[in-house]
Formats: sequence, structure tokens, C-alpha cells
Amino acid sequence: MDIIELKHVTKRYDDGFVALKDINLKIESGKFYSLLGPSGSGKSTILRIIAGFSSPTEGQVLFDGKDITNLDPAKRQINTVFQNYALFPHLNVFDNVAFGLKIKKQPMNKIKPAVRDALHMVRLDGYANREISELSGGQQQRVAIARAIVNEPKVLLLDESLSALDKRLRKEMQFELRAIQKKLGITFIFVTHDQEEALSMSDEIFVLNDSKIQQNGTPVDIYDEPINDFVARFIGDSNILPGRMIKDFEVEFTNQKFQCADAGMKPNEKVEIVIRPEDLDITSPEKGKLVVTAQTQLFLGDHFEIKAIDADENEWLIHSTNGCKLNERLGLYFDPEDIHVMRLHESQKDFDARLESYEGEDGNE
Amino acid sequence: MRKHIFAKVYLSLVLVILYIPIFYLIYFSFSSGKNMNKFEHFTFAHYQTLFQDNRLLAIFLETILLALLSSLIATVIGTMGALAITAVKRKSHKNILLALNNVLMVSPDVIIGASFLIFFTALGVGLNFGSVLLSHIAFSIPIVVLMVLPRLNEMDFSLIDAARDLGASGYQVFSNVMIPAMLPGIAAGMFMALTYSLDDFAVTFFVTGNGFSTLSVEIYSRARQGIDLEINALSTVMFLFVLILVGIYYFMTKRRAKKGKRMLGGMIK
Repeated sequence: MDIIELKHVTKRYDDGFVALKDINLKIESGKFYSLLGPSGSGKSTILRIIAGFSSPTEGQVLFDGKDITNLDPAKRQINTVFQNYALFPHLNVFDNVAFGLKIKKQPMNKIKPAVRDALHMVRLDGYANREISELSGGQQQRVAIARAIVNEPKVLLLDESLSALDKRLRKEMQFELRAIQKKLGITFIFVTHDQEEALSMSDEIFVLNDSKIQQNGTPVDIYDEPINDFVARFIGDSNILPGRMIKDFEVEFTNQKFQCADAGMKPNEKVEIVIRPEDLDITSPEKGKLVVTAQTQLFLGDHFEIKAIDADENEWLIHSTNGCKLNERLGLYFDPEDIHVMRLHESQKDFDARLESYEGEDGNE
Repeated sequence: MRKHIFAKVYLSLVLVILYIPIFYLIYFSFSSGKNMNKFEHFTFAHYQTLFQDNRLLAIFLETILLALLSSLIATVIGTMGALAITAVKRKSHKNILLALNNVLMVSPDVIIGASFLIFFTALGVGLNFGSVLLSHIAFSIPIVVLMVLPRLNEMDFSLIDAARDLGASGYQVFSNVMIPAMLPGIAAGMFMALTYSLDDFAVTFFVTGNGFSTLSVEIYSRARQGIDLEINALSTVMFLFVLILVGIYYFMTKRRAKKGKRMLGGMIK
């Protein structure tokens, strides 16, 4: 069931800047969603519109099927965890968490156990009497989450909530957020510019750029089948090259023909092909489908990142567990499924329909 | 190390020089003589005459009442003014408002006093407690604005969003979030307004009529007939009163700082 729906939402500011262009999205109850995009892509604006801090210039916001476009944020069953946490500095942990319940004039004998439970949920038992200034960044983050979930919202919005934490703490919080979401069973909408964060936590991701939703789908869908070069570049590293579709399941790039797993395009249509660096295997030049020369190599701990150049001066990024010598000629091997073909300017609707048409035939997926 | 000692000596010297006149005054308030040429012998006689001088005591109390009342009203108006200035979106308009506020801060008391006198006479308002109160409120407002504004400027406005998100109404946002955030500034502003009102002479001198006088004006008019040691006793009492006020303020600041909260700050005088 859809708990939130945005219909044709456009946000235009007084100075003419358009933050959102005709956004349509549906949020199902009980899932973990991410709005992923670079800064200025409009992801935080969507969040502010859902929360009610900002109203759309055009379009509608539905909550449980009811129009809440102009409803006061105080009356929405939605709570937010802010980017800088926005904890009240003059109140201690208990009073911060209890703020929403006190506003709703709940009796103290209900507030106390509710606050205790919320603090337990974020593993801050025994911190009730601390001052906010005594807490670390990670602890403040948890208080902010507790303050939001204590109100039992149906939807929790998280605005770049992990970006202020260091890397280790961020990883830890990712697991914890996911666990909290599973335990509460409510919808989380998480705004982030960190693709790893979005891939690891979400049930579904909306990739935003240029005030528009570029693609939505599960993390695996988006990673394996990006709709355009923006998504391909933004989600993970990729090798993107211009190519030409000879016929179904056959594509040409770097002046060679390759078997591929895509179909449903016009013959000889100009396309872009994507090959993920981890899908490229290094072999001897004779066995490789492509021959490249290694240019630079970086050791990144769990793998080597090799930059190489082919005969046409195309740059190839390769992730390999083994290193190579610089200026060494390498053969590159990849399977037909590793090639992902993108049509230029294809809408998500057409993209989904095309995938359906040929993947349905041979019974894959 | 040498530098350290020099700094200490210098600081002590400055403080001593600043405080000597006050302690000189206090010292002679216990002298039985008629003037401050020579300390005769120890007596509380001047305090006795002071506490029997009903006119002076009445003026003393009225001065304090005036200070409390004017600072209270000025704090309310000044805080609202600061809120209004923060709400102004255009940068140029905001700067104009701030400049107008600051002009009142730096313009000489004599000019403000004279203009009030002209203003009140033109309106036909009688010169009494009311006129003095009005002018004290007026010159206290800018200082309150200046004390509250920095608090508002450094306030995190996502706190307002957070409160609304948690279900607070407009009034609840104001009372539960804005006021606490401004409180240090409000307290500092009120304290400053209080001291401004207590030690103002020039403005008050212009706008007092027959029926009402403040301590500073009264002491001035008495001093013209030669300083009486009763004034020394009064000064001592005043000094103690101010000391207590500062003490209260200090403990308020201390207590808040100890609780891990922001210091009440912004004292400039």
C-alpha cells in the first residue's frame, strides 16, 4: 500500500530557480527508501515537501490517500531526523526526546516509559539526564532518532543524517538504522549523496539529478542496469563508451563486435555501453576480448585500481585483486552479461517495458 | 614568567586606581567630621541621618522602581525589535534598521534628553515619573536589541523546523525554543538596561519635573550646596546594592555554565 505519493510536484523559488520538475513518486509502507543524488539535485527539497516545511508550487502530496499538500507539519504523522540533528541545546536528553509527547500533553506516566523505550531502541539507556553538549556526534545522532521515533510516526525522514559522522561510526549507524527500521516496521526515507550508503541500506533507491528523478529501483537493479550515463557514473565506477547496436544481442564498440544481453533497440542505433570495472578480468593479450596497456595503478587495500588505455585511446578502469606491471599489455575478458547497453534519452517507463519484452521471452529474471 | 608578573602588577594597578575614589568616599562616610579633609573618628552618624532622611529614601526607592520598570518594559520591546530585525529579509533594510538602532546608542545623552524635553513639552505631557519612565525605556531599548540580536543570529533555525516537526504550534515554538535560545541575551540586555537606568543623569535631568527626582539628579542638586557626608553614606549603600546585583548576575552565569549550558554573555560595560 502506498503511504506517500507525490503527484506532479514542481517547486519553483521566487528567484526563478526550479528545484523540482514534475516529480512523481510512490512510497510504500514499511520499506527503507533512499533519495540519492548530488548536492543541488532536489533530494532535500522533496524531503522538506514531505515533512511540510516547504510547499510545492504545483502538484499534490498524498498521505494514506489523503491530500496533505498544505497541512501544517505539526499535524503530519511524519517525523524528521535533521542533518545537524537540531537538538534543543537548553534541554537535556530526556526533555529533548520527550518534547513531542509533552507538546501533545501526554501524561508524565506515559511519557517516561515511552522515552525510556526510545532511548533503549537507540542504545542510549541511562543517558536520560545528560546534557546535549556532553554527547559525542554519534550519541547526538541517536538522540535525534529517539526524539523522532518516540512519536510513533508512520514515516521517518532522515536528511543526510550520517554525513557528519566519521567513516567507522557511519558504517555502524547504517547497520543500526536498518535494524531500527526492521524492528519498528515503519517507512524510512533517507536522503544521501553517498551511493554506498544508499546501496547498502535501501529496499529501493530514487536517483535524482537536475531536479528530476533519473531512475528508481532496487539497489541491484540500479547498479546492474543504470538507465543513463549519469546514473552509471554516480552509482559506482564505470567504463562508459559510445557504441552501436548491430542487432538484438550484438553490439559494436571500439570497432569490434561483441555478444551482449540487451535487445529491443533499432538496428544500428547509437548507444552507450557500460562495463563495471570489477567485471573486467585480466588475462593474457591472446585470450582477451580487448587488449589494453596499463597506465597507472593504485593499491586500495582490498583491490588494485588499474587505469589502462586501448588502441583507440579509450580509458579503461579495472578492479583487480592482483596487480600488474605498468606499460604491460593486458588482455581484458568479460561475459556478454557484463555489457550493459544504454539508449540515449530513454525514459524509465520505456526502459522497463523494453526490459520486460525481451527478458520475458527467454525466461530470465 | 617575568611577563606574567608584569601583567599582574599592571592589572592590579589599574584596578586600584579605578577603585580608590570609591573607597575614599566609603572611608569618609564613617568619619564624624563635616567634610572629607580629615578623618575625625569612626561613627555611623551619617547613616543615621541618611535613614532618617525620608525624602532621600523615597527617591532611592523610586529610582530602583524606575530602573526595574523601565528595564523590564525595554526588554520586552527590545526583544520583539530584535525578532523583527531578524525577520527582515532584505540585507539593506536590515542594515538600515541596525544603523538606526546604533545611532541611538552612540548619540550623546544631552541631545537625547533635550529632544525628549522638547518632545514632551510639545505634546503637553507633564514632566513627572511617567515622562522619566518613558525616556528611560526609550534609551534602554537599543541596548536590549544589541544584546539579543547575536543570540538570534547564531540560533540554528532548523530548531524551529524540528519543533514544528514534533507538533509544536507557532506559540509553542516561540515559548519553548525561541525564548530559551534568546534567554542569555535577554538577561544580559535587561541587566544592562537596569544599570543604564540606575546611573543615567543627563537624560533624567532634562525630563524630571517638580514632583519627581532620581538619586543622580538629587545628589547633583545637593552637591551644588557643598557635599554632605550623608551623600557618602548613600554612595556606600548604592555601591553595596550594585555589588549584590553583580553577584546575582555572576551566580546566574555560573549556574548555567556548570549545567553545561551556554554562558550568559555579552556584557560590555
